Amino acid sequence: MSYLPCGQYFESYLDDQKWWRTPFIKAKMIFMLVVVLALPYLVASEWLSVFYTINYYILAALGVQLLIGYCGQITLGHAAFVAVGGYTSAMMILFIPWPTFMVDSGLVYPISIICAGFTAAMWSVLFGLPSARVKGFYLIMTTMAAQWITVPLVITQYVSQIGGRGQSFSLPPGLIKIGPWTIDDDVKIYYFSAFLVLLCLLAMGNILRSKIGRAWIAIRDNDIAAETMGVNIVVYKLIAFFVAGFFAGIAGAFWISALFFVSPEHYEWFYSLLWVGIILIGGVGSIQGIVFGSAFVVIIFKLLEMGVLGISEFVMTSYPEIGWVTTKIIFFKESAFGLAIIFFLIYEPNGLSYRYWQLKNYFNLWPFSYTGK
Amino acid sequence: MSDVILEARNIFLSFHGVAALTNVSFKVHKGEIFSIIGPNGAGKTCMMNCINGLYHPKDGQLFLKGVDITKMSPHKRASMGLSRTFQKIELFGGMTVLDNIRLGRHLHLNSGLLSSCIYWGKTSKEEISARKFIEEEIIDLLEIESVRNEVTGMLPYGMQKRIELARALAVQPELILLDEPLAGLNLEETEDMARFIVDINEDKRWKVTCVLVEHDMGVVMDLSDRVMTLNFGVKIAEGTPKEVQENPEVIKAYLGEVEDLYVSRR
Ligand SMILES: Nc1ncnc2c1ncn2[C@@H]1O[C@H](COP(=O)(O)OP(=O)(O)OP(=O)(O)O)[C@@H](O)[C@H]1O
Ligand SMILES: [Mg+2]
Repeated sequence: MSYLPCGQYFESYLDDQKWWRTPFIKAKMIFMLVVVLALPYLVASEWLSVFYTINYYILAALGVQLLIGYCGQITLGHAAFVAVGGYTSAMMILFIPWPTFMVDSGLVYPISIICAGFTAAMWSVLFGLPSARVKGFYLIMTTMAAQWITVPLVITQYVSQIGGRGQSFSLPPGLIKIGPWTIDDDVKIYYFSAFLVLLCLLAMGNILRSKIGRAWIAIRDNDIAAETMGVNIVVYKLIAFFVAGFFAGIAGAFWISALFFVSPEHYEWFYSLLWVGIILIGGVGSIQGIVFGSAFVVIIFKLLEMGVLGISEFVMTSYPEIGWVTTKIIFFKESAFGLAIIFFLIYEPNGLSYRYWQLKNYFNLWPFSYTGK
Repeated sequence: MSDVILEARNIFLSFHGVAALTNVSFKVHKGEIFSIIGPNGAGKTCMMNCINGLYHPKDGQLFLKGVDITKMSPHKRASMGLSRTFQKIELFGGMTVLDNIRLGRHLHLNSGLLSSCIYWGKTSKEEISARKFIEEEIIDLLEIESVRNEVTGMLPYGMQKRIELARALAVQPELILLDEPLAGLNLEETEDMARFIVDINEDKRWKVTCVLVEHDMGVVMDLSDRVMTLNFGVKIAEGTPKEVQENPEVIKAYLGEVEDLYVSRR
């Protein structure tokens, strides 16, 4: 919880339980919304892909945050559920003989997104079943099994072979259509992603402040006490897997609009780890943390990429005789991610969102900042 | 006699062959404060865990309001109106006091996944009425207004014990199990807590039947309607506080502690 400035009182429970409790917070949120909407006009167009990648990571890491940060169920196989979402959506678009009016009115893709959510959710529940029996380390192993079974086995060996197109399904341009809009350039992809992120964050925030979310947090903090207070922990863990899988499915279905094709290499185990890393960096058990973490990781990757490209170019032109160096520094990106996680675990274990929280309280309590804990 | 709310019949419990409870039977009547006393390691907490469903007795049966609950899971028992506090505090450390108590309302809320996502409307109304109940019935009764927005992990021990009671009350139980609610409290906190126990037991809005495990004999003898004594997992006495105090078996079980036995902290 965070502190409000002095002199803020509420006269009804409704006011006290509101999300945006003060005019200042309201103004801040509206400002943020305006920034999100105006972003395509504010940044250079090559940065738009960075922003929708951030949004994709937010959507994907949302489920990871839900499971690890709010329900205490560590998962290392989330890319599997994103893959299920992506493949469900792509295959529904490609292989179902939709009536033309549905294709023309742009209903196919939205329907496929919802179905992707449900398929991924059911797939996730399937691999969540062991959580009824096992905890901690053993659960990590079973979620990893989800990754290995889904991506290299089911998807690569069987699903990808459907239609005999080899490894990847490509989506011809113009197929991905939402109502009247064909998603075909970065601006539209960006707006679409921003819309999904807002919707999903809203849903997540609302769940967390009602019965189900509290039950998850209770299971995370003390499952025995939760059970004693009447929480059916098996059911609520499975609901957590369901919702996390649903978000993953939406993330996967969104991402095909940016890629125009799906292939197993977009769902490698690295991504499962990356999304866990994102919530470690952003802050475990915090919704803002997902946003901070995703933004941090994607922007750092982008900067490193630019840096590495710059250095390689410089080396190649000035010192062509040591050109082999450039092949080595390509891997800086991944190792920088590893280093960032180590750094955060040691120096900032509560993540970026904790710093933000401290900053906020500092200003809210100013000039009596020492009262904040 | 008033009607029986809880009955234990011939409970046996053992851990790897070491008996923790041997053939324990008792009845708790509606509206009373029933205390279980006994030296350390007598099996009092084990008995509570059996009633609550965290441990499963090797043999014997438990009846809550006439229903056989021996094989029921703890959350089902909670939905039948059974709640408890723990000897070692088992709060949700990462949640605020208010959220801890709200979790106690879990069984009284019924918004599903979809309406939770939307929140506006049904869930919002439900949350507000839950809040009203918590504020007006529990926070007010237990005098915890000042800490309602604090994270429980940070609170002092005595306050945490009180929050545990608050959370247990939010279930609106008919029967509450209190495992050493006074342990580790200072004199003032002890008096407050004893007063709360009497309140929830006697106040006509609550009328909660209490099963109390406690080492503070002064309080036990003052509050209880009936007392049961366990020693090495065996029931050695049951009766009114006066009868139990005079029971030679009980005095023997507490040998060495006789001096302190009846000395209250006051
Ligand atoms: N989970 C367990 N595994 C093994 N032995 C246990 C377990 N729980 C309790 N015991 C044993 O059962 C016996 C009774 O323990 P219990 O906790 O019920 O005592 P108690 O009467 O509550 O004592 P205290 O007054 O110290 O709280 C003890 O000998 C204890 O070591
Ligand atoms: Mg005990």
